Amino acid sequence: MFIKFKEVIIITCMSVIKELSRVLPKGIVLTGEENTRPFECDGLSVYRQKPLAVVLPENIDQIKQVLKICKAHKTPVVTRGAGTGLAGGAMPLSESIVLGLSKLRQVKHIDVENQLAIVEPGVRNISISEAVASHGLYYAPDPSSQIACSIGGNVAENSGGVHCLKYGLTVHNVEAVKILTIDGEELILSRKDKGLGLLALMNGSEGLLGVIVEITVKLTKTPDLARVVMAGFDSVRHCADSVSDIIKAGIIPAGLEMMDSFAIEAAEGFAQVGYPLDAQALLLCELDGTEAEVQAELDIVLKVLSGASSIKVSNSEQERLDLWKGRKSAFPAVGRLSPDYYCMDGTIPRRHLADMLEKINELSQKYQLRVANVFHAGDGNLHPLILYDANIEGELEKTEEFGTEILKLSVDMGGTITGEHGVGIEKLDAMCHQFNSKELEIFHKIKAAFDPEALLNPGKAVPELHRCAELGAMHVHHGQLPHPELERF
Amino acid sequence: MSDRIEQLQEEVKNSSSIHIDSQWLNYSGIEEYFSEELVITVKAGTAIKEIQAQLEENQQIFPFYITDENQSIGAAYAIGAQDISDSVLGVKIIDGSGELLNFGGQVMKNVAGYDVARMLVGSQGQLAIITQISFKVMPKSYIADLKPSYKENERSTLREEIEGRLKTVFDPRGVFN
Ligand SMILES: Cc1cc2nc3c(=O)[nH]c(=O)nc-3n(C[C@H](O)[C@H](O)[C@H](O)COP(=O)(O)OP(=O)(O)OC[C@H]3O[C@@H](n4cnc5c(N)ncnc54)[C@H](O)[C@@H]3O)c2cc1C
Repeated sequence: MFIKFKEVIIITCMSVIKELSRVLPKGIVLTGEENTRPFECDGLSVYRQKPLAVVLPENIDQIKQVLKICKAHKTPVVTRGAGTGLAGGAMPLSESIVLGLSKLRQVKHIDVENQLAIVEPGVRNISISEAVASHGLYYAPDPSSQIACSIGGNVAENSGGVHCLKYGLTVHNVEAVKILTIDGEELILSRKDKGLGLLALMNGSEGLLGVIVEITVKLTKTPDLARVVMAGFDSVRHCADSVSDIIKAGIIPAGLEMMDSFAIEAAEGFAQVGYPLDAQALLLCELDGTEAEVQAELDIVLKVLSGASSIKVSNSEQERLDLWKGRKSAFPAVGRLSPDYYCMDGTIPRRHLADMLEKINELSQKYQLRVANVFHAGDGNLHPLILYDANIEGELEKTEEFGTEILKLSVDMGGTITGEHGVGIEKLDAMCHQFNSKELEIFHKIKAAFDPEALLNPGKAVPELHRCAELGAMHVHHGQLPHPELERF
Repeated sequence: MSDRIEQLQEEVKNSSSIHIDSQWLNYSGIEEYFSEELVITVKAGTAIKEIQAQLEENQQIFPFYITDENQSIGAAYAIGAQDISDSVLGVKIIDGSGELLNFGGQVMKNVAGYDVARMLVGSQGQLAIITQISFKVMPKSYIADLKPSYKENERSTLREEIEGRLKTVFDPRGVFN
């Protein structure tokens, strides 16, 4: 029986590839181990899977054809931007094709007056800002991966970045999107639509609801001036409390980032930008606007930070960029110190930052794994980097267990398991802790409203209910045990 | 859990037709306000001007255009547009089966699960009872000239179809009208 079943699958797979190759021009459908290997994983490279084939269309019409063929063959489609996602969202499935959008990389129209740009999904985040720079404009959301990641991927993840505290996340900076449904039909969703917030729904939908094929982004005026304040602190708690104090003083910095001593050491070793190596924690606070605005904010911020052990304010654009260089290279810098690292993404209310960092420290000792903390403090978005060695048996599992504990803590403190990286395959278990079975069911039904046969990135982002039940995750919601209707295993 | 919420859940379970308005909802008040977090959580029946008065004490405001400050915040959300949605962080709702559900929360960044809290802005009381909403608020000094947002009336058939299916997801019995 089993063999027969497998044969059937192989036959349908063969014909889906055959048909794609027949309909699309040469060079668009990639098959064979060597060609498809670069697409086996995304930024979460510990998990890999070979797809049936990789399809790299050059225009919207070709994407429509791909979707129609896959729909007819019931072949799952995993959409891929640049593959920098950190949660396995773009990891292929064994019976799926990968729909790679890297060839759609044109900035199609720039509307200077209305501060908008229409771009294809494969355009890299940084390329948008480069394309509009001569007009004194830029695209504000700036994930650290911005030189590589695609705008389509940014929308699919609702990505954030250093400047999102003041200028908003991707969802706040998208004016409209054109999507294709699994049937290959076009649907335009715009901020001007009457009715349900479908544009917001599409942001962060991780490729499960539709394929984003065109994006109209909002552009922001480049500020006259930006300066960054670097403050070193003798204690993590003092630094974390200063984050709240700055906001309490009525200031919304353009960026407000924090690093702990291990991260400072790693970043300084890598970038040599003059970070204070004796500090327990470091704050980078960027202020932007007109010269007068920046000066007024700077006066207040310096007063708030008067208890810091060291203070430095950038006096030129070069100094500003240097101070950021350490922060921006913190991930690779930490990467140099360990064979592997695991990046978490929990978000908590700012007032709990210090407590959370202490808890992470305790857990680090419990699991005997080192942690570097580099994060978007202004948003309460943590990025603990857990250092491990995948070649040591059991260490990846231990790391994941450690990570899960951090995510549960985030939820328990009134936060979330993921602030900007998405759920993908990585945080499916943690989802069981954040949502009860009724809420998860709603998510599954929302997907079905767009994609009834579950062909778009199936199995990602939302866990199956039985998975949560098997896990026995003790999600006590509204005073009830999770999934009372399901049998306990 | 509050008694009123339980009553509302019972009422939904036992009714075949409900028209939601703030008087019927009878559920108001400011639940939590963390000015240093830029977050306020309010019950949906709360009058906007009551919330504004609280925000004013901390030199903060809603960063979106208010059409009518005598309206309840739930009504503004239900007929709202993208500008309100930009400030929404989380909601508690009662769906058409009488289930109390929670989406989003009080943090600035949250990509766990679909963004139901923002999707329901503009749902006009047709999908669920919105009982509680969390908003991001801003220091007054950062917000200049707020304008009403303009909405297009034209809608594609495909969009109508999808919205119809989403109505069924939240309100399978068609209780809300
Ligand atoms: C070093 C490093 C630093 C990073 N820093 C940040 C950061 O500061 N902030 C942040 O938010 N993220 C960060 N990331 C994560 C990642 O870069 C973002 O999630 C990014 O938006 C992913 O874009 P991508 O084009 O690589 O998408 P992919 O990884 O290719 O895909 C991501 C998800 O989106 C879906 N998808 C992609 N394109 C489309 C489309 N056109 N239509 C529908 N679905 C689509 C995929 O199916 C997948 O689920 C970082 C990653 C790295 C490696």
